[in-house]
Amino acid sequence: MENKLKRYEKIAFLGEGQFATVFKARDVETENIVAVKKIKLGSRVEAQDGINRTALREIKLLQELHHENLIGLLDVFGHMSNVSLVFDFMDTDLEVVIKDNTIILTTANIKSYTLQTLKGLEYLHLNWILHRDLKPNNLLVNDKGVLKIGDFGLAKMFGSPNRVNTHQVVTRWYRAPELLFGAKQYGTCIDIWAVGCILAELLLRVPLFPGESDLDQLTKIFDVFGNPTEENWPGIKTLSDFIDFKPLPAIPLKSIFTAAGDDLLELISSMLVLNPMARKTCRECLKMPFFSNKPAPTIGSKLPLPQNIRKVADIERQSLKRKLLDAAEGGSLSKRLFI
Amino acid sequence: MKDVIDVMELQREKSRRLVTVDYRQLDFKGGFTPARFIFECGMKLNGQPLTLATAAVIVHRFFKEVDHNSYDWFLIAASSLYLASKIKDDPLNIRDIINVAHNTLHRGSSPLEIGDEYWNMRDAIVQAELLIMRVLKFEANTVHPHKYMLHYLKSMESWLGKNTLESVPIAKLSSAFLQDFHHDPAVLDYQPQHIAISCISLALQCYGVQLPLIDDLDDEAWYSVFVKDLQKDKHWEIMEKIMEVYNREEGN
Repeated sequence: MENKLKRYEKIAFLGEGQFATVFKARDVETENIVAVKKIKLGSRVEAQDGINRTALREIKLLQELHHENLIGLLDVFGHMSNVSLVFDFMDTDLEVVIKDNTIILTTANIKSYTLQTLKGLEYLHLNWILHRDLKPNNLLVNDKGVLKIGDFGLAKMFGSPNRVNTHQVVTRWYRAPELLFGAKQYGTCIDIWAVGCILAELLLRVPLFPGESDLDQLTKIFDVFGNPTEENWPGIKTLSDFIDFKPLPAIPLKSIFTAAGDDLLELISSMLVLNPMARKTCRECLKMPFFSNKPAPTIGSKLPLPQNIRKVADIERQSLKRKLLDAAEGGSLSKRLFI
Repeated sequence: MKDVIDVMELQREKSRRLVTVDYRQLDFKGGFTPARFIFECGMKLNGQPLTLATAAVIVHRFFKEVDHNSYDWFLIAASSLYLASKIKDDPLNIRDIINVAHNTLHRGSSPLEIGDEYWNMRDAIVQAELLIMRVLKFEANTVHPHKYMLHYLKSMESWLGKNTLESVPIAKLSSAFLQDFHHDPAVLDYQPQHIAISCISLALQCYGVQLPLIDDLDDEAWYSVFVKDLQKDKHWEIMEKIMEVYNREEGN
């Protein structure tokens, strides 16, 4: 264990959340920069429950998953009563990119980010895993413009028909309507809905459905798509939390995404379908014309990133004291600027 | 009074048949004892079969790495059960585990009061969990023979014919063999596919079921459609190991 502690040289403190502290560190064996997430055992009361379930999920699932667009779990080690997870180091995330007004997101840029997200998610779904917490903040980006899906604390195997799941998953703004109606059995379509919302957010630069409560969330969704009926969503009335809304008309997506081309609108409208069964899968989405049409997706090194990141990359190893956007791990971590 | 069922008599018979083991008197038996403890507690807790199998695998892997005299087997077993329930997303309450484990070791005792003894046990289970994870190098995943067995049996449904499968409990017996084989650390030594095949083979032989379209003298084994790399002697070896498990129950 001692050598593991020495193997990762702490460079900077990145952030602290409810369950973990994240450090940027250098792996002395490979000279790679990594993120070390130290799981807190916290107070005595919490420690009595043993190894944190969230951390165990990440360990269990990520050990078996290897894909360019998924965060890599490089190592796990224990010291005293702590457990530490070593991840690929990621410089920023899509939330930061979206909120940065100096960044211009062209169609080619959006195509690249969406393509990478869908490729990672397709792999995940092919391995029978639902992410269940997709949001811009969990789509991590490094200085080479590679996007990786992170934070597997809510991820779960799916496919077992007798398994009941909780519908209290996914951050509300990205939560699919069936979850808001209390569905206990669901599939990959909930992740697709979230990707649709993220894609919309890349275009609008603000969340598409920023609901203030679960009810408000549904209202915001139906304001755009009209309210669902037994015709366009058979069986909807059987969902446990179903409530009838006053009839709302659907509005054309073109009037919301004025700058988007037809192929992009077609993609959005294949992901954001009220009826989960009618939503396209990752693979079907990847085959849509948007991805083969011009312009080609921006290559990684040309993707726009927050200004300080590329600069940091240029002066890498010159000084340890520098501005770092806390971006490493997980949505539960507070975002801070650290000097 | 002929048609009246004598409930008392039934219960007397039942209690005569049930052997209650006093775990504290048992030897380690190469891991059989802690595994048996897991299955008894796990069933009382209503855990899923895969959760119990995972717990048994954890215990066997743990004692493969360390000297079993240095640890309390039952603590490690209870902790493995708790860890397995987390890994398999089949939540078992830690307090239930403590109470069931305590009652299984001290038969007839009442549930633990929330006091020092309870908190010490809880603390011990949690500490042991971390220790187990570290000994297992944080490798939490197990490939179970169960999933292979399910698909083999499913494919055999049309091969054997529905009638045979419904009249002879092949699937049930195969599953029983598979679960019981988890009492033996040998379950770690073979490929999950091979274990699944051997359990089914043994079940077929127990009931004397002949597979249609397969000649007894045929050099090719019946399972070659499912697995290509299972040698005949290996196949026999696993079946023997499965049967051996049943000899361990009594005495040595």
